[in-house]
Amino acid sequence: MKKPQSDKSQAAWPQGGRVDALAGLPDRGACVRAVAEQAGPGRRPLAVLWLNIDRFKQINDSFGHLAGDGLLAEIVHRLERAGTRGRLARMGADEFVLLVPDCGPGRAEALARDLLDAIGQPLEIGSLRLRPSASIGIALSSPAEGPHALLERADRAMLDAKHLGGGQCVFAGEVLPSGRSGKHLAREELAVEEVLHRALETGGLSLDYQPILRVADAGLEGVEALMRCRVDGALVPPARFIPVAEKTGLIVRLGEWSLLTATRFASRLIAQGRPVRVAVNVSRAQLTAPKFSQALHAALACSDAPAGAIELEITESLFMDRSEVVQHNLHAALEAGFSLAIDDFGTGYSCLAVLKDLPAGKLKLDRAFVSGLPEDRRSYSVARAVVRLALDLGMSVVAEGVETAAQHEALCEAGVTAIQGFHLARPMAEAALEAWLIARSAP
Amino acid sequence: MKDITAANDPHPDAAAILDARLASILREIGIPPRPSILEQIAREARREEPDFHHIASLIGRDVGIAAGLLKTANSPYFGYRQKAHTVQEALIMLGLTVTARTVAGLILRKVLPSGPHLERFWDTSDRIAQLSGWLAQRHGAEAQRVRPEDAHTFGLFRDCGIPIMMRKHEGYHATLAEANRDAARAFTEVEEARHPTSHAMIGCLMAQSWWLPETIALAIRHHHDHVLFAAGAGGLPAASRELIALAQLAEYLLQQLTGLCQTREWDKMGAACLGCLGLDADGLAALLPQARAFLDTLEPL
Repeated sequence: MKKPQSDKSQAAWPQGGRVDALAGLPDRGACVRAVAEQAGPGRRPLAVLWLNIDRFKQINDSFGHLAGDGLLAEIVHRLERAGTRGRLARMGADEFVLLVPDCGPGRAEALARDLLDAIGQPLEIGSLRLRPSASIGIALSSPAEGPHALLERADRAMLDAKHLGGGQCVFAGEVLPSGRSGKHLAREELAVEEVLHRALETGGLSLDYQPILRVADAGLEGVEALMRCRVDGALVPPARFIPVAEKTGLIVRLGEWSLLTATRFASRLIAQGRPVRVAVNVSRAQLTAPKFSQALHAALACSDAPAGAIELEITESLFMDRSEVVQHNLHAALEAGFSLAIDDFGTGYSCLAVLKDLPAGKLKLDRAFVSGLPEDRRSYSVARAVVRLALDLGMSVVAEGVETAAQHEALCEAGVTAIQGFHLARPMAEAALEAWLIARSAP
Repeated sequence: MKDITAANDPHPDAAAILDARLASILREIGIPPRPSILEQIAREARREEPDFHHIASLIGRDVGIAAGLLKTANSPYFGYRQKAHTVQEALIMLGLTVTARTVAGLILRKVLPSGPHLERFWDTSDRIAQLSGWLAQRHGAEAQRVRPEDAHTFGLFRDCGIPIMMRKHEGYHATLAEANRDAARAFTEVEEARHPTSHAMIGCLMAQSWWLPETIALAIRHHHDHVLFAAGAGGLPAASRELIALAQLAEYLLQQLTGLCQTREWDKMGAACLGCLGLDADGLAALLPQARAFLDTLEPL
């Protein structure tokens, strides 16, 4: 596609439009006049595509205005290449309008998608690789409508698209699913998002497994799968990538990847004659999705593991979510034979009485109660009370984050049934865990 | 194209016997985890300076994969001017990412359940993949959106959940027949009414674990979701929509040209697919003889 000659495109605009200095494009006033000329009674439908660059402010704030200007120039270049059928104007710092004469909804949508694709190609700013994205609102002219009202509808549709999380186009008046907020990522987060994309496409993800040992006989209760992300050989800590994955929605994909990988590992251990229950973390985004149960069964079908070999670790606050979809998904998981554990117990705001209503067989006491032991007698008292209640309700109790012998001893005294932590065993890669299991079983 | 026996077997008993026999064959073969060659290519790709020679030698260890990679690199629809004569040349032409995806597609058929009754299923997948790549190349000349390589990979992986469903869920054969006949519900809806999951969900998880990109994984997950597909831009990423449309069109063309395996998917999704690809009825009619000519250039199965 050829880039349009700038003098030719300028000539098509009504006289009097000031040319924007940065982008070399007609401005808002010129755009309103062009709409007035091209839309209205007796005219063919005009499509107005209002485009806003997602996260432009964060990019500008993080990389500086020069980089922001560079990004704008590149985006204008991409828009001009992809949108040759329309006329482009700049409405504000990071906002553009494309006017497409004689254009119905099908063509307008196809064009919007072309624009989103063109903008979404990776871009290098300094040493960082970005995936720009934009939100587009589409409004089609109607005979009785003035130019301002038409532009306003397109602008509002763009905001709707933005609320879908960016990278989308939406028609004016289109009903939107509620509950999603727009992305708001800072520089560091943008970099991590790119790292996650690369890890997902180049095999940079792996799981480590940390043993959980029973107090009674020091036998293996199970292992917890912990996600690791490596890019260019360097490990990205979970505390950096998990929050970004949650913000961008990538957490669902990471969660499903973990589920399948852990299920396959459980299956392999069974085949080796060393069955071990593998615990997998489940995120809010996964558990609130309507097809959660289908994903669980798909993992079983791909791996041949029985559901009983997998334990789903779900945080306390998520267990408390009384929404229909969460309750349905929790019960579907139980029905399929998965066991459920309440993760990070003690960090939420739940009262102990609700424990009796939760369909979990295990409670994992949060490390916050463990780290101060044995000196912190208050933590000890709370831990002991929780353990007693949980045991009375028929649950087993695991203490996480146990790093010292003294902590271990205090927790045994408090009555926990199993221990997880560096003190007993570190998280290990698959092969290392297999070797560890073999060494343990040796006479 | 999911009916893997000859056009809906008229004898239900025969189908049941076949089902049982198939199930017993398949039960003996496990689903492999991520093949180690993909893991090794991925590991190399993560290095700052990947060693192409090492990867070429990894691929060269399996004659079938090496030959398949060369064939892919030299496919007419990839549009490379030069011909690759060695695995290393093919690697340099395709790049590491595309090589990894191509190798994944080549291994797929080897590692998933096979058996005499799945031969036609795999042959059809292969043809749909080839046609999808060809269509992407023709279409892409205008739009430059989906790469032919990705359309080809998607065509191969789109239905890879079917052999796994067959192996895992008894009576899936009958489900396929019902889903193929159902003109109103989505194919996956029929599956989910009878089984706890669907071939689309399984295929998506497989694709994710084989490091295929998000757009392909999403397209596999939703390739029967005609309501979401028709909803337009609010739903799926543009590239995923286009992958779905290309493969659906490829399937339709193949059905028209061979007269086999009629399903109801085109009734449900055809119009939206044509809209997505910017094709009208005349354009579609013109494609048929060209697709026939393209299929004639392929090696017989």
